[in-house]
Amino acid sequence: MSKSQNKGFTKEEELLLQDFSRNVSTKSSALFYGNALIVSVVPIWLFWRIHMIDIYSSLILFAVVTAVSTYLLAMAYKNTKFTLKHKIAVKREEAVTRDLSKKLADDKKMSKKEKDERILWKKNEVADFEATTFSIFYNNALFLAIVILASFYLLQSFTPAVNYTFSIGTTAGLLALLSTGSQ
Amino acid sequence: MGQSIFLVALFAVFCTTLCSCCSNPQVTSKSFTTLDATIVSNVAYISEFTVKCGSGEVGNLYAELDGNVSPVSIVGPNTYQVSWTEESKSARKGDREVRLLNEDGFTAFRRASRANEDISAIPSLFSVVINHPGAFSGPWLQSEFIATILSLAVAYFALASRSRVVA
Repeated sequence: MSKSQNKGFTKEEELLLQDFSRNVSTKSSALFYGNALIVSVVPIWLFWRIHMIDIYSSLILFAVVTAVSTYLLAMAYKNTKFTLKHKIAVKREEAVTRDLSKKLADDKKMSKKEKDERILWKKNEVADFEATTFSIFYNNALFLAIVILASFYLLQSFTPAVNYTFSIGTTAGLLALLSTGSQ
Repeated sequence: MGQSIFLVALFAVFCTTLCSCCSNPQVTSKSFTTLDATIVSNVAYISEFTVKCGSGEVGNLYAELDGNVSPVSIVGPNTYQVSWTEESKSARKGDREVRLLNEDGFTAFRRASRANEDISAIPSLFSVVINHPGAFSGPWLQSEFIATILSLAVAYFALASRSRVVA
């Protein structure tokens, strides 16, 4: 895309582009990585205290698996958020429009275009927030459920180190893979 | 002369036998049973009791439980102890009555068991009761099972919410 074409975008178009972009803001990214790190670290307690893995001799394994899992989970958060954001926006559109129109009805000075822009911006904000929080909840719930199921039942017969590596690695990978689906 | 010595000896034996019998025994007992069977396979029953006789001595005691007899160990002056173990799966809850027999009772018991007679008819010196309230053999549901069910319920809720949003 050339620069001359880029200049041609109106504010509304830029907002739309941002709305449809897969990239997330730095704040959102930090939230995703922070959350992914916490959720990836939590199972260490399970393997240390319940599965009796030796924490000092497995520090490197913990660090590597946690790093990989954090990356994959953050990716899953991002993808899930992207998929859900527009669905949520469509669902909340009517309510946001009604709410904001009522608020802006008294303001006679504001043009209709500006009102529409504000509604669009508000809709984007609401959908972004809801998609972010839901994506974190959804992936965390699935991650912890699959990790518990895998570590206690599916991989029970393996040594704790193998159990840890596979239950965390496979679950994070599975979530990242599933999040790439469009539905 | 020889006859009188024999009579004195006979009297002495009779008197000793008569006097050594414990009459009107007062028993105080305390008991212990295994309450936590999570890491053990057998439940132990121990009863320790002190016997005070109105007159006479207790002598050797034998404990009879469910048709089995075993000697009672002496752990102190007038203090005795009976103990046994049972498989924790088959250990019965509630009161267990241990009948205590003296030498005569033990002889009668052996005679009766040889002749396949009713052993419950043999009079016991006294009996002690051990109460076993039941041993704890672990929770009904394992904690990992509960954790799995709860986490699956939350995951189901998440999946249902997502499908509602996507629909």
